[in-house]
Amino acid sequence: MSVERILVVDDEPQIQRFLRPALSAAGYDVLEALTGTDALKAAATTAPDVVILDLGLPDMDGKDVIANIRAWSQVPIIILSARDRESEKIAALDLGADDYIEKPFGIGELTARIRAALRHRIQMEGGHTQLSADGVAIDTIKRLVTRDGEPVRLTPKEYDLLVMLAHHAGRVVTHKTLLTSVWGAAHGEDLHYLRVFIGQLRGKIERDPADPKIIRTEPGVGYRFVGDDD
Amino acid sequence: MPETDRESKSRPDPDALLALAGQGRKGKLTVFLGAAPGVGKTYTMLTRARRLKADGVDIVIGLVETHGRGETAALIEGLEILPRRDVNHRGRVLSEFDLDAALARRPKIIVVDELAHSNPEDSRHPKRYQDVEELIAAGIDVWTALNIQHLESLSDVVAQITGVAVRERVPDTVLSRADDVLLVDLPPAELIERLNEGKVYLPDSAKRAIERFFRLGNLTALRELALRRTADRVDDQMVDYLKQNAIEGPWASGERLLVCIGPDLLSEKVVRTASRLASGLNAPWIVVFIERADRESGDGEGARRLDETFRLAEQLGAETRRIVGNDFVEEILKLARREHATQIVIGTRRQPFPLRLFRQSLPDALAERISGVGIHLVTDKEQPRPKRGVTAKRQMPEGFGRALAIAAATVGTATALGLLIERFIILPNISLLYLLAVLTSAIYAGHIAAIAAALLSVLAYNFFFIDPVGTFTVAEPHEVFALFIFLVAAALAGSLASRVREQAKSARRRAAATQALYDFSRKLSGTANVDDVLWAAVTQMQATLKRNTALLLPEEGDLRLKAAWPPDTELDVTDTMAARWAMDKKEAAGNGTGTLPNSPFHFRPLTSPHGVVGVCGFVQAGKPLEINEERALAAILDQTAIAIDRARLSRESLDHAAKLEGERFRAALLSSISHDLRTPLATITGAVTSLRQLGDRMPPESRDDLLQSIEEEGGRLTRFVANLLDMTRIEAGTVNAKRDWVDVADAVRAAVDRAHKYFPAREIDTSIAPELPLMRGDSVLLGQVLFNLLDNANKYGGDEPISIYARRDGNDIVLSVTDLGKGIAPGDLEQVFEKFFRRGKVDGRTPGTGLGLSIAKGFVEAMGGRIKAESPALRRRGTRISMRFPAAEAEISEKDRA
Repeated sequence: MSVERILVVDDEPQIQRFLRPALSAAGYDVLEALTGTDALKAAATTAPDVVILDLGLPDMDGKDVIANIRAWSQVPIIILSARDRESEKIAALDLGADDYIEKPFGIGELTARIRAALRHRIQMEGGHTQLSADGVAIDTIKRLVTRDGEPVRLTPKEYDLLVMLAHHAGRVVTHKTLLTSVWGAAHGEDLHYLRVFIGQLRGKIERDPADPKIIRTEPGVGYRFVGDDD
Repeated sequence: MPETDRESKSRPDPDALLALAGQGRKGKLTVFLGAAPGVGKTYTMLTRARRLKADGVDIVIGLVETHGRGETAALIEGLEILPRRDVNHRGRVLSEFDLDAALARRPKIIVVDELAHSNPEDSRHPKRYQDVEELIAAGIDVWTALNIQHLESLSDVVAQITGVAVRERVPDTVLSRADDVLLVDLPPAELIERLNEGKVYLPDSAKRAIERFFRLGNLTALRELALRRTADRVDDQMVDYLKQNAIEGPWASGERLLVCIGPDLLSEKVVRTASRLASGLNAPWIVVFIERADRESGDGEGARRLDETFRLAEQLGAETRRIVGNDFVEEILKLARREHATQIVIGTRRQPFPLRLFRQSLPDALAERISGVGIHLVTDKEQPRPKRGVTAKRQMPEGFGRALAIAAATVGTATALGLLIERFIILPNISLLYLLAVLTSAIYAGHIAAIAAALLSVLAYNFFFIDPVGTFTVAEPHEVFALFIFLVAAALAGSLASRVREQAKSARRRAAATQALYDFSRKLSGTANVDDVLWAAVTQMQATLKRNTALLLPEEGDLRLKAAWPPDTELDVTDTMAARWAMDKKEAAGNGTGTLPNSPFHFRPLTSPHGVVGVCGFVQAGKPLEINEERALAAILDQTAIAIDRARLSRESLDHAAKLEGERFRAALLSSISHDLRTPLATITGAVTSLRQLGDRMPPESRDDLLQSIEEEGGRLTRFVANLLDMTRIEAGTVNAKRDWVDVADAVRAAVDRAHKYFPAREIDTSIAPELPLMRGDSVLLGQVLFNLLDNANKYGGDEPISIYARRDGNDIVLSVTDLGKGIAPGDLEQVFEKFFRRGKVDGRTPGTGLGLSIAKGFVEAMGGRIKAESPALRRRGTRISMRFPAAEAEISEKDRA
């Protein structure tokens, strides 16, 4: 397996300055782009394995960069964004970005996100049917969910919800994506469905539903399935 | 007492100095006064003007009438002449003085001939002397010419002497306020000679009038008037000079005149006489009208005449008063004493003989009760007769017929009743029934009805009850006497009763007026908004005056119509100019005044203790207000002005408070930023430089510790910046709290996770009730609120664990964060949610930024919740901050549940 290549798109040299040595030390090959135009060019010519994209670029909107890349590539994209810009984050995720991380961030969080993104790419290629997290195993062929070997009885919607989250293990899934994929496009805004069903699901699969370890809440954005590999 | 007296006398009179100082900013008025046309006023004026011009003085001709005289026309040559304004007046084009051109040119001195001239109708001022006053007010010196016959106070004397009525008149105050009066004198014989030589003005149409006017006797008398007037003035100037220079002398005449007038025709003459007397004595004079308290002040005609007389008096320089009282003599005496009047001027009419027997005349009554005061009587011999008939007819009460009918009806009833009673009982005093009829008439229909009823009663009583019954003859002589007594008694009782009725009526009217005013003032006191005040005032004025009204307020340097009745009223250019005048000059303008009388509106300034706040206007159209309307209006305007003032002040004070608050916020923000940014930055810089320069020599634990402090301080900076951003959003009102479904337990967990990241050493007990309903809100904001509360508890909680719980309470969800630190002093509980409020440094920990709780409060309220602080929380220690949000039940359809 060759060294994975990461394209970092950020117009601020300070960020580039600490990301390049840090990511290199973590064992990745780092490419830099300071503008949206450069980013698109680099993405097309160098075939990176992961793109880290700041949404605030000088020449174009970061969301346009995502849309452009998604037109021809499924390369994982991780968004860098400010804490108080939820709507921007959600829009980017709905456009096809895979994950986000808030500035300021620690390098540990970033490498964890990169790992999850890379794993997802492998899953897509390999078509994993077995998923596990904190003693819970999901077999999508048998449509079976067990906890510590004991079967867990889930309703069809609970099962669909869990599988949707598990397929994106380690990555955030927005409310809208979950709602439309489980209940259909007409329920894209019915957040209370999610609140209720996530509560039920946690009650059935989490060891301590008051302190969930498998399905984590991303306030204002969505949920994240944390698998054993994450 | 004599001591202070002498002191005050030897000092310059402050009023005199003030008057002089006030003149400093104004232009000077020089009047060239002549006894008659043709004495050479214009000639003298122009000769002098040429001389000044030659000396380089900026003098221009505003207007000079040469009357075709060659000598005069030649003098104008070489002087700057302002262009005239062409005015189309009833089809004729008149060439008039252009006031605005003169104001724009602003010469040092301007020559404006013929002060007494009347301007055509659509001019700004009806009279030229008003143009001149405006020039002077603008700081321009004016030279002008005037013939003595045009002086207001002399107009009747002149008419008497020459037999020619003078229509164009100039108030005496114009002349007395002139800085210089130059008498241009020519002996009458020479004047007549000049006239015969054709050197005096020529219009053929006026030939006959001129012949009547230019007689030696007339001219001599007029010359005497002019000379005397000028001499008086010289005398005044000397007195002024003495006063200003504090020279002792017998200059104070000490005379004060009290002039009594009424609504009659004689009063005008009384005022003119008093004016001459006052100027001769150089004495101040007060014109007073005493209004009967028990009577509504007069019919329309009398009230109007009284107003005119008052206006004349004011023009002539008098101070005017209206006093309400029942006893004329008593009121006059009181006022005379209060004002230290030395002379009383009063009009007297020859009373018809029979009245003279019963009633003491006013002058006699005065003379009897006063001493040391001179009384001047002005008689009314010349009062025109024919006018009386007209007024007498008009004064006849409208209800005359009604009064007679009521009298007849009551007497008829009394007679019928009397005849009926007589059938059953013998009543010796049947006349009492008639007395009842007289009183009833008086009470219901006034004194005319009472007198009519008395007369009818005598006739009816005589006819029906006195022998021989059925005739008007009286058999017994003592019955005649009884009838006479009855008549007198009935008349007296009737007049008394009617007076009671009048008093009651007038009291009712006054009570209604007072009530209306009271209601108005209550309405005003309840409104702090200028627009509401204006609307209330406009409607009140309309209701009181029954006229269309308008209110204008200054706004951004302009006078704007702010309220009017009817609301769609529009003002044209003339109206607006008149309103502007009223505002700027603080005097009435528009219809019925000397300024822009063509406007249908009459404008008055609205004056509050802080100056003119606006202008009120009402449609006058030649019909001035009556006295009681005038009084009501004055009260309304006073109240309105004060209310506007108050509304404006309250708005200003609000603005001021907001500004102050903003400034305090900025100051606190600056100090907070400088403190809260500097500390972590200093730590980071210090740690990093230490590591770089000395890291090699440090044990690994020290290096780790330094690195950790950098990470922590970075975190602190992050939170601080986030707080500042949140605070700014709250301040700017741009917090858009979502109304999403929030799982409270999730929000609590997220906040606790975050808290663990920033202060991992702190123990946090979480307690969330099972089956907690959802709430509507913004999960991000709620998470931030909870984190801020945890952060706060961490700072002030000592070393004890923090507890956070969420439970249901009725229809609410209650969330609270409790610490077990020292708690908050009761006095500070209210303030903890204020911006930049910080409690003191506790246990060596860095105090907060003073923003956390304030942000929490802002977010909670944006989500429709409530927040409060309690201390002590537990066992006399700690602080609990709790929030309350309405719970929301989520509905999910059966189909979607599966």
